[in-house]
Formats: sequence, structure tokens, C-alpha cells
Amino acid sequence: MKHQTSTLPFLSVFLEPPMGMHGQVLAAAKEAEVFQALQRLHMTIFSQSVSPCGKFLAAGNNYGQIAIFSLSAALSSEAKEESKKPVVTFQAHDGPVYSMVSTDRHLLSAGDGEVKAWLWAEMLKKGCKELWCRQPPYRTSLEVPEINALLLVPKENSLILAGGDCQLHTMDLETGTFTRVLRGHTDYIHCLALRERSPEVLSGGEDGAVRLWDLRTAKEVQTIEVYKHEECSRPHNGRWIGCLATDSDWMVCGGGPALTLWHLRSSTPTTVFPMRAPQKHVTFYQDLILSAGQGRCVNQWQLSGELKAQVPGSSPGLLSLSLNQQPAAPECKVLTAAGNSCRVDVFTNLGYRAFSLSF
Amino acid sequence: MYHLKPQSQVIFITFPNGMPPVLKPTTTPVGTTMSSESSKKRKPKVIRSDGAPAEGKRNRSDTEQEGKYYSEEAEVDLRDPGRDYELYKYTCQELQRLMAEIQDLKSRGGKDVAIEIEERRIQSCVHFMTLKKLNRLAHIRLKKGRDQTHEAKQKVDAYHLQLQNLLYEVMHLQKEITKCLEFKSKHEEIDLVSLEEFYKEAPPDISKAEVTMGDPHQQTLARLDWELEQRKRLAEKYRECLSNKEKILKEIEVKKEYLSSLQPRLNSIMQASLPVQEYLFMPFDQAHKQYETARHLPPPLYVLFVQATAYGQACDKTLSVAIEGSVDEAKALFKPPEDSQDDESDSDAEEEQTTKRRRPTLGVQLDDKRKEMLKRHPLSVMLDLKCKDDSVLHLTFFYLMNLNIMTVKAKVTTATELITPISAGDLLSPDSVLSCLYPGDHGKKTPNPANQYQFDKVGILTLSDYVLELGHPYLWVQKLGGLHFPKEQPQQTVIADHSLSASHMETTMKLLKTRVQSRLALHKQFASLEHGIVPVTSDCQYLFPAKVVSRLVKWVTVAHEDYMELHFTKDIVDAGLAGDTNLYYMALIERGTAKLQAAVVLNPGYSSIPPIFQLCLNWKGEKTNSNDDNIRAMESEVNVCYKELCGPWPSHQLLTNQLQRLCVLLDVYLETESHDDSVEGPKEFPQEKMCLRLFRGPSRMKPFKYNHPQGFFSHR
Repeated sequence: MKHQTSTLPFLSVFLEPPMGMHGQVLAAAKEAEVFQALQRLHMTIFSQSVSPCGKFLAAGNNYGQIAIFSLSAALSSEAKEESKKPVVTFQAHDGPVYSMVSTDRHLLSAGDGEVKAWLWAEMLKKGCKELWCRQPPYRTSLEVPEINALLLVPKENSLILAGGDCQLHTMDLETGTFTRVLRGHTDYIHCLALRERSPEVLSGGEDGAVRLWDLRTAKEVQTIEVYKHEECSRPHNGRWIGCLATDSDWMVCGGGPALTLWHLRSSTPTTVFPMRAPQKHVTFYQDLILSAGQGRCVNQWQLSGELKAQVPGSSPGLLSLSLNQQPAAPECKVLTAAGNSCRVDVFTNLGYRAFSLSF
Repeated sequence: MYHLKPQSQVIFITFPNGMPPVLKPTTTPVGTTMSSESSKKRKPKVIRSDGAPAEGKRNRSDTEQEGKYYSEEAEVDLRDPGRDYELYKYTCQELQRLMAEIQDLKSRGGKDVAIEIEERRIQSCVHFMTLKKLNRLAHIRLKKGRDQTHEAKQKVDAYHLQLQNLLYEVMHLQKEITKCLEFKSKHEEIDLVSLEEFYKEAPPDISKAEVTMGDPHQQTLARLDWELEQRKRLAEKYRECLSNKEKILKEIEVKKEYLSSLQPRLNSIMQASLPVQEYLFMPFDQAHKQYETARHLPPPLYVLFVQATAYGQACDKTLSVAIEGSVDEAKALFKPPEDSQDDESDSDAEEEQTTKRRRPTLGVQLDDKRKEMLKRHPLSVMLDLKCKDDSVLHLTFFYLMNLNIMTVKAKVTTATELITPISAGDLLSPDSVLSCLYPGDHGKKTPNPANQYQFDKVGILTLSDYVLELGHPYLWVQKLGGLHFPKEQPQQTVIADHSLSASHMETTMKLLKTRVQSRLALHKQFASLEHGIVPVTSDCQYLFPAKVVSRLVKWVTVAHEDYMELHFTKDIVDAGLAGDTNLYYMALIERGTAKLQAAVVLNPGYSSIPPIFQLCLNWKGEKTNSNDDNIRAMESEVNVCYKELCGPWPSHQLLTNQLQRLCVLLDVYLETESHDDSVEGPKEFPQEKMCLRLFRGPSRMKPFKYNHPQGFFSHR
């Protein structure tokens, strides 16, 4: 290539004011991109809840965001990559969203010390504000205790909150006042479960005990100290009870100790499930027990203690399972599992993972 | 056809019994005629001559000719062919009749019959004679007719020839006439002055109005005369002008000589004034010299030079600009190449020779072509960018003439001699110090889309094999040179543009400074990191507790491939954060029996883009983010919450703060690990940190957050 003798004028002045913004914007964009990727990489989804109509799934993560996914869109035959992204994402709490439940109109979410209510009908709009926000009466402390578990008691239209302050608080949903405090745990509470027939609540905590409470008298009726039973105790993992589920006279719990099926009336462990990793969520499903925890898999157990199936998901560890059994949307009857990733795995039947919803 | 003898005679005899007259040949061999007659199968014909007067007349003429000679030819003229035809028919009839009678008689037989027959035979003979005579006459007539025809034909031919000659003559004459008509005189092409002008201007002895007015021929002649006269005068004038010009040229020459003698004198004055300029800090002369050299720069380097100089003067006094390289070589380039064989050969004679000598092998030839294609312009622009701590970034900009792109080579020099730590080898290396100054601009690919086609021709796969030697063609370098290459678009506007360069100059210079400073800071930090010391500056002290037990024991650089193969870095690789332009390190933090490995990704855009850590703890089994939530939380503490670790701007302390934070996190992790009651003996790591709670939330997080003035740890 030959170039001609340069005939450009000497001492040229700036033709335009310097507009170097482009480079800076580019660098900032790159920075934001990396930050976002890192955020996604370190995201944990603590809680999930299905809408009363059964078509939407809310998921809360460690950054205090709640994302609403449309299950019906993601499950429809013409689902695209787009429909596996949240319909809307909003900042709900300052800290992580540890627990969520749905009433027939509201989504209740709890994180660091407070519980917030959101209207399902309005949440899909942008810029949604919480309906109300309540804080249980805590004794003053340096640190605001978290709320690890929420439980609805439909019969008396109340909500039970439990967490960092080692107490169960019941809140009347009608008036929004805190009615009772159930004291007994010596360390923070991980999980709650409701016995359907009698107004009794089970709670499991870091102190390694499962306590049975009578709501009418607000008294502790029974205590099972799981770690003291040799069949299921695993001292190297700790005493804590991470998950709890109940079905009439039966109760299954796990965590530091092994996952165990208990007969409540006799307070005896009947089946110890052979699973080394601590379990973080357990639930009864028909004649099966579903459990999840450290490790990629959703485990399906026979009541006799046999492992029926292990279905791998996409997260390295799972924290919550959610079965969508809303009669309003039979086509959206799925199992969803979430944990240490930004993805919510969707299992269309119990056999395999169909796809993942992603933050 | 046969000719009869002219001597044959015919005797006419009149028969008394009403018989028609017959010709009677006297001396003719009858046999031959007969046979010929019969061979011709002529029917015997009888000619009847009717009318006595004709008979009489013939007889008379016969007798007249008998005296001199007998000429049948003459006779032919006299006889009427029509009558001869009648005679012929008659004779034939007679002959037929006689023959019939003879046959009749012969069939009757008898004595007197013989006589009768004899008589009839004689009569038939006479008829034969007549026939013969007629035959001869016919032949003579035919011959005569032929001769006449021939004669007539010859005559006609002669006439025809004459006619043709005449026609040719006519044509020739016509041609001559047209030639004459077409004749043009030379004077018609000469532009003459118009008639009125001629009579007005020409002197009367040329115009001769009284003669020429009526005679156009004379008039033209006069006008031509006048033209000649005028032309002679003009030629004279032209000669005068030429001599005048000569004179003026000589004058100019003299004046030029005077001016050139003035130059050295002025130069000497300039030389003398130099000390004065220096004394007064006015480097006019030096600048002028640079501008003089700059004229030989190729356009992109020229744009860069001008804009950098302008920027240096206006905004940044620490920027110095210089031109390097041989001006003479650059000048040689601008000379028009004598042999323009192809575009690629700008080579001088010396190189031409070497290529010729090596021609035999194809590979060497291709190699030469590659070299030619990657040739740099002999001049280059040097930018020296001084930072606050007296370290200097030397940038040398080159222009690849045949590829039409610019490249840069960078070098960093520091005020004090640096002890280069092993792990810092890549930090200031010319190859990587400027990598990704703008996101994604790693300078290994050519920014000019046209180059790929040029490479294909000479078999260059990518430019990246040559960047070490040529310098890096970063995008910002092209922009500083005013070269704009649209991405993934066919049309190009590869014109050196001042405004493009100007718009990028300030940002780029600032980025360059930040880059050098952050690299130098890292360089220093690495030196102490390699000795196991995490340098924490006093203004970042508040981020950490006073007592940190965990220690950094190793800080090494690892290859990109090795990083990719580590089992606990899969997430980062999957998330696309481990590109090959990054730098990779491995840190080892120890406390007691616990060993924490940290794989670090250092983005070239450090420190605006944070380093990314992936952890693997070896203590009571191997713990990574996939099997331990708290390890995951520790990663998130350094990777996501890095902003609180940045320290004062420009956050050069980020990496060391992150490492120190990891040490603290490891302390917390180990001290808060729940004690296994079943194991005898004291805890390996007694809890020394003040914590409000040990675990929190469903994933049982440890209290990793440090609260500064109070000095306790809490949950985030």
C-alpha cells in the first residue's frame, strides 16, 4: 500500500471537544457485567412459594430479591428461553428471604426480623409495594434475629413465625397483632410443621430438639431430643434439626442427625434413612418421603427406608422443595427444587428434571 | 449429309403421254446414291413439275450454262425451293406407282410382261436421277445458309466489341470529370479575414478593389496575399517575445542565486540564537525540527503525533512526544517506484537482490512475502507518559504500511530498580501490560477486516504469531491514529481522522496512567506476597481485626490451562469469567493443619474489575463451594462484597485486602467449627473471635462480617 505525501496542516487544533465518554461507559459496562455474573454465581435461593392460582412460582434469594416465574408459560408447548426467566424481580428485603408462604390472596415473605405481605394480584406489575410489614416483638439485641420458618394455621387464620430468637410467635392475620409467644428452644429454630387434625405444631432447631406445641394452651407437650438417640445421632455433623415434616402420627426429621421417621405417640425412631449428607428439606408425598439437602439430588424414600430414586438437579446443594398441588392449575402440577444456585429446577414428574428456571 | 459432285448433270425430258417431266442424271454412279438413299430409308418420292413455262425457262438456262460450265451452285440460286419440294413429292409418288405396277405385272406373269417391266424400270431410274439431283441441291443450300449465318455472326461480334470499347471510354471520361469536380485547393482551409474587414484593412495595392470586386478568383488571390502579409508580421512579433522571455529568465536566475546564498547566512544566525532560546525556555527550533520530521510520517502516525502533542501541550505536561527512525528511509518510500510491478514491492534494490538470490525455494519466497506484508514504516512515534512516582510508560507506535494498521510496543521503567518477583513476571511485560485496556481489546487480532484476505494470500493464519515482534494492534491504538474500522461491516472508512483521535486521546491517556499505576502497585505487592506477607496499608487497617492467625504461605502464578483443570474452578469457567487474557495465580493460606487454596483470576482491567477467588479447604476432608455452604459464603464475601475492600481510590489495595480478608475468614471458619463431642481432647482452634451467634439461617452461615470499632463478628 502506498500512501501519498502527507499534506495535512501543521499544528492542528482539536476539531471537537474531547468526548471520551465512550471508553468509560464501556469499562463501566464491563464492570457491571462481571459484577452481575459474580452475583449470579454466588446466589442462593432459600425459599419458594406457589401462587394460589397455581400458575406462578415466587422464589426468594440471599440478596433479598423475590422473582416471580410463570410456570404455565414455562410449561406450555411453545415455551422459549425467555419464559424461563422471571416475569418480574423486585427487592423485597434488605437481607435474605428465608421463608415464604402463600395465603389465598397474599404472598408472605420473611427475612431478617420482619415479615412482609404482598398481594399476588399486584405483584406482576412493576414497582409493587408491600401490603404490610410486621416485626415480632423481639427483646433488644445487637443483631436482629432472622425468621427461618413461616407456617399458616388455616383453622384460626393465623401465622406462626420462628427463627433466630428461639421462640415461636403467632400472629393473627385478621388484625396483624402478635398473639402468643411459645418459648422453649435453647437455640435458633430451623423449621416448623403443622399437624393437620389436632391444633399442634412441631418445631425443630439448632439445639437438636423437636418440640410439639399445643396451640390452644400455648404449652410444650412433647420434646424429642433427636441427637440423643444412637440410631440417628451423628456428632460430627452436629445436633441441629434442619427439616421436619409430619403426617398424623408420623414425623420425619433430619439435619445434623440422620433423616429419621418417628412415631410421635411413642416417641421412637422407626426408620433411619441411610443418607450421609445433612438434609435441609423433607416432605411427605403420597406414600413416599421426598428429601433434599447437601448434594445435587432429590431423594425419594419408601417408608421402609429403601431409597426409591435419586433424581439429580442442577444445583450443588438444595434448600427447598415445593410441590405445586393447587387444584386450580392441574397442568402446572410440578415439583420445584432450589438451593445453592440461581436456578430453580422443575421436575414435571418425579422421575427427571425437565428444565430450570433461572434468576 | 453428303455432297454431290458439282459435275453431275440433269436432263429434263418431257413425257408425251401426259407424264410429268423428270430430271435425268447423265453421269452419276447410280448404285452408290441408291444405297445411300436406301440406307437413309427415304421413301421414293416423285417430283412433279407443273406448268410448261417453268419448264421452258429452265431448259433455256440449262442450255446457256452448258456452254461455259455447269454450276449447280449457281443453279441453286435460281431455283425455287418450294417448287423443288413439290417436284420431290411428285417424283416419290411416281416411283411408288411404278413400283406397284411392276409388282402387279410380275404377279400376273406372261411374256409381254418383261417388256412392260423394263419400260417401267427405265422410268423409275429417271425418277431416281431426279431425286439425287434434288438431294444435292438441298445440301448445297444448307452449306450456303451456314456460310451466311457465320458471316452475319462475325459482323455482329465486331460491332459488339466496338460498343464495349465505347462504353469504357465513356466511363473513364466520367471519372475524370468527377475527379476534376472534387478537386480542392489548399487555400480553402486557411481561415481568412472576412470580406468587409479585408477591404477595410488591406492596403489598396493588395486589395485592388476595382479588379477584384467582380472577379471572385482574383479576389481570393488578393485575400491570400493579405493573409501571408499578416502572418509574416505576427511571426516577427513572436520572435521578439521569445527573446524577451529569455531575458527575464536570466534575471530570475540571478535573483535565485542571491536567495540561496541567503539561506546559510540565516542558518548561521539561527544557530547563533539557539543558546538564547534555551536560556529563555522557548524550544521553537526543536519543535520545528520535529514538525519537519513529522512531514514524513504516514498519515495515521501523523495524526497521532499531532494530537498527542496537542494534548500534551493543553492538558498533560507529563506527556512527551518524539519521532524515531530514519527520515531518509521514509523519504525514499515517497519516491515514485521506478518499476511498478506490484503493490507489495516497495523494496529497495538491496532487498530485491536478496529475494532474487533466494528465489529457488517456494517457502523462502513466501516468507519474504510475509515479511514484506508485515513491514513497518521506518518512522515511529514515541510517547513517554510519566506517572506520579516517576515511573515512565514508553509507548512506541508503529505503522504497518501494507496492512494499514497501527501497533504499539510498551515498556515500563521505574525510578528505582525493582526486584522482580517471579509471580509478577507478566505484570509489566510488554506483551500483557496493556492487554484489555478497553474491555475485550486484547490486541491479538488485526482490527482491519481487509487484512484477513491479505493474510490468506501469503499463508498467515493470525496476526497473533507476530505481535511480539510487531507490537500489538489494539483498537485504541487505531483510534488514536484516527483509523476507524467498522466491526463486521463490509464498507470501510479507513481515513486518518483527527477528530476520532482527539476524542479518544484523553480517555486513553488516563486509562494508560491508571493501568501503569495499578500494575506497578501490583508489582510491589507481589514482591511481599511471595514472602508470605500480605501488605495492608494503614488506611485499610480498619477492615480487619488486629489479630489474624492464618498466614499466606504461597503466591504463585499458574498457567491458564492449569487453572481450567482445577476441580474447584468449574463454576468460574462455566460462567465465562476465565478468558485467556486474564492472569492466573494460586494462593495458599495456612493455619495449623488447615490449608486453604485460593485460585485467583486477575482481570487485566484490575482494579475496576475485581479479582475472582475460588476456594478449596483441606481440613477434615476437602471442602469446596459444592459441598460446604460456608466455603461458598467465604467466596461470596471476597468476590461479591469486594466493594468494601477497595480502600481509598484508586483502590490499588483491592487484591491484598481480599487476601487479608480470606485469612480472617479462614480464622472465623476454623474457630466456629462446631466441636465434635465424641472426639477427645481440646479443640485445635479455640474460639478467640468475638461472635454474637455461631450459626444463622437455613444454611447455617458463620459470622463472617467484621464490625470495625467494636471488633466483633456478626452475620451479614
